[in-house]
Amino acid sequence: MYLPSGVYHETYGASHAWWQTGFVRGKMVLLVAFVATLPLYANLYVVSVANIILYTILSALGVQLLIGYCGQITLGHAAFIAVGAYATAMGVLFWGLPYPVAALVGCLLAGVWSVVFGLPSARIKGFYQIMTTMAAQFITVDFIITHYVSRVGGREHYFSLPPGTITIAGWPVDSEVKVYYLASALTILSMAALANLLRTRVGRAWIAIRDNDIAAEAMGVNVVAYKLLAFFAAGVLAGIAGAVWIPSLLFVSPEHFQLSWGLWLVGVILIGGIGSLYGVAFGSIFVTGILELLKFAVIPLSDVYPALTERFLYVKEAAFGLAIVLFLLYEPRGLAYRWQQTKNYFNLWPFAY
Amino acid sequence: MAIFLELFLSGIMVGSIYALVALGWTLIYKCSGVLNLAMGELTLIGAYLCLTYYQWGFPFPVALACTLVTGFILGLVTERLFLRRMIGESILAVIMVTAGLSFFFRALVGFTWGTDTVVFDPPVFPREPARFFGMVFGQVYIWSFVAAIVLLVVFVWFFQRSRWGLSMQATADDEMAALSLGVSAKRVYALAWAIAFMAAGVGGTLLGNINGLNISVGYLGLLVLPAVVLGGLNSVPGAIVGGIAIGVLQNLSDVYLGKLTQGGVKEIAPFVFMVIVLLIRPYGLWGWVKIERV
Repeated sequence: MYLPSGVYHETYGASHAWWQTGFVRGKMVLLVAFVATLPLYANLYVVSVANIILYTILSALGVQLLIGYCGQITLGHAAFIAVGAYATAMGVLFWGLPYPVAALVGCLLAGVWSVVFGLPSARIKGFYQIMTTMAAQFITVDFIITHYVSRVGGREHYFSLPPGTITIAGWPVDSEVKVYYLASALTILSMAALANLLRTRVGRAWIAIRDNDIAAEAMGVNVVAYKLLAFFAAGVLAGIAGAVWIPSLLFVSPEHFQLSWGLWLVGVILIGGIGSLYGVAFGSIFVTGILELLKFAVIPLSDVYPALTERFLYVKEAAFGLAIVLFLLYEPRGLAYRWQQTKNYFNLWPFAY
Repeated sequence: MAIFLELFLSGIMVGSIYALVALGWTLIYKCSGVLNLAMGELTLIGAYLCLTYYQWGFPFPVALACTLVTGFILGLVTERLFLRRMIGESILAVIMVTAGLSFFFRALVGFTWGTDTVVFDPPVFPREPARFFGMVFGQVYIWSFVAAIVLLVVFVWFFQRSRWGLSMQATADDEMAALSLGVSAKRVYALAWAIAFMAAGVGGTLLGNINGLNISVGYLGLLVLPAVVLGGLNSVPGAIVGGIAIGVLQNLSDVYLGKLTQGGVKEIAPFVFMVIVLLIRPYGLWGWVKIERV
C-alpha cells in the first residue's frame, strides 16, 4: 500500500480505512460530485451513454464477484439479469406492487434462481461448470422465459410498461436523467456493499476458494456453503441490474438477455481487470465508450461503403471480439493494472522504483 | 413403434453430424486443453465457404474438398495468430480468447454473407424421400450420415494409427514426456486446430444442406457441447457416442415432450440431460477422473 511520507495512522480504524489520505478523499468527493452533477451540463446523448455504462457496471459486478473473487466461471449471467428484470416488470404490471418492492422481489428471486444453478458447483468445476452455467442460460431464457413467461397476460414476446407506472415513493422515474440518478445511486450502493463484503469473513472465504479450494477446505472453510452464497450474492446483483433495466427501456424481451450478453460481461471484466472492483467500472466505460466512438468513425465512412451502416451491429461485435482477444494477448491483467502502474509512476516520480 | 424407430434412426443420422463437430472440439481440448467456444463459428465459416465454392460452379465433391483445404489453412492461421501465445495461460483467459474469436468470426460471417437464409441451389442431394420398411427419410439425411461416418472413420484412424495421430495422443497424455521424445507440441496444437476447422466445416456444410444456411447454424457449436461433456471431454469415442446420443435425444424429446410444453424442448433437452448426468457422474461417461491433492 502506497502512502506518502508524513502520513501516520494512530488507530486500527485509520489503517483499515478505505481512503487513507486527504488527497484520495478529495478525489472521491470530486468523483461523487461529478457523477451527481453530470446531467446539469451534459446533453441527453451523454446521459444515455452514461446509463448504458451504469447498467453494464451493475450487470458485470456479479460476474466479477463469481469469476474474479470466487473463481466460479460463469457464462450464463444474463439469465439472472433476465429473472430480475422479468420479476420486476411482472410485479409492477400484474400484481400492482410499488416499483421498489417489485425490484426487491426480483433481486431475491434472481438470487434464489442463481443458487439453483450453483448447486452443481458443489461437485464440478472448470470446464464442466461452464457447461452448467450455459445450461442455466438456455433453460431460463430460451425455454422458460421465451415460451412461458413471455406469454403471461397475452402479450406476445415482450412486456411493455406504460410510462408513469414506475414510481419511487410518488416520484415517477420517467426520463433519462431520472433513470441516471436511480442507476448511479444503485451502482454506488452496490459497489460499496460488495467492497465491504469482500473485507469480511465471507469475502476472505471466497478469495480462499478462488485461490485453492482444496486448501480452503482443509483450513475449515465450508466450500459448498460459501460457493452457494457467492452465487446468491451474484444473483442479487444481477437482479439489481435487471431492475434498473426496466425504467430505462420500459419494455423487456428475451432478446435482451441472450448468451452473448453473458459472454460480453465476462469480456468486460477481462478488459477491466479480473479481481478488481474498479476494473468493472474501467471495463464498462472502455467497452461502451469504444463502441460509441466506433459509431462516429463509421458515419463518415458510410458514404464510401454503405454496407458498414446497414451491418453496424456486426462491426460492433467484431470490434468487441477483437478487443477481448487483443487485451488477453497484450494486456492480460486488464485496465485496472495499467491504472495502478500509472499511479505508481507518478507516486514514485522522479525515481524509477 | 414405427414412428419411434423412424425418430430414432433419423436422430442417429443428425447425431452423426453432431459427432463430427464434437470430434473437432474434443481434439482441440485433448491436445491443448483449450475449450473452444468458437466451434459454432468454425462450422459457419466452413459451411459458407463451401456454399461459395458451390455457387462458383464447382461440383459438390470438389467444393467440399476445397472447403477442407481452406479450413486446414484457416485453422493453422488461427492457431498461429491467436492461440500460440496463450499456451500455459489460465483456463479462463484461453476460453475467453476463443469467446472473443467467436464474436469476431460471427461478425465477419454476418458482415460478409448477410443474415438471410441461403440454400444450396441446385440441391446437392435428390429431394425425393427414400423409404425403408414403411419408414421415410430424406435422402439428404442418408447421404449426410454416410459422409459423416466416412469422415469419422478417417479421423479415428488418423488419430489412432498414423504417426501424427500418435504424437497428438502422446501430447495429450503427457506433454512433458512427449516433448522430451521429440514431439513438437506446437505443431500438434496447430494440427489439432486445422483438423477441428476441417471437421466443423464439413459438419456445417452437411447441416446447411439439410435446413438451409443462416447465421443461427452457428448455435450448433453450443449444441454439441452437451455431447462432448456427456462423452467426457477428452474421449474421442465418447464424443462420437455423445453426439449420436444427443441427436436421438433431441428427436425423441421434440415429439414426445413437445406435446406437453409450448415448444422449445428440442433446444434445451440436451442441456437438461447433461446437467443431470454431470450431477451423477461429474466427469462425463468416459472422461478422465482427475484426482486432486494440494
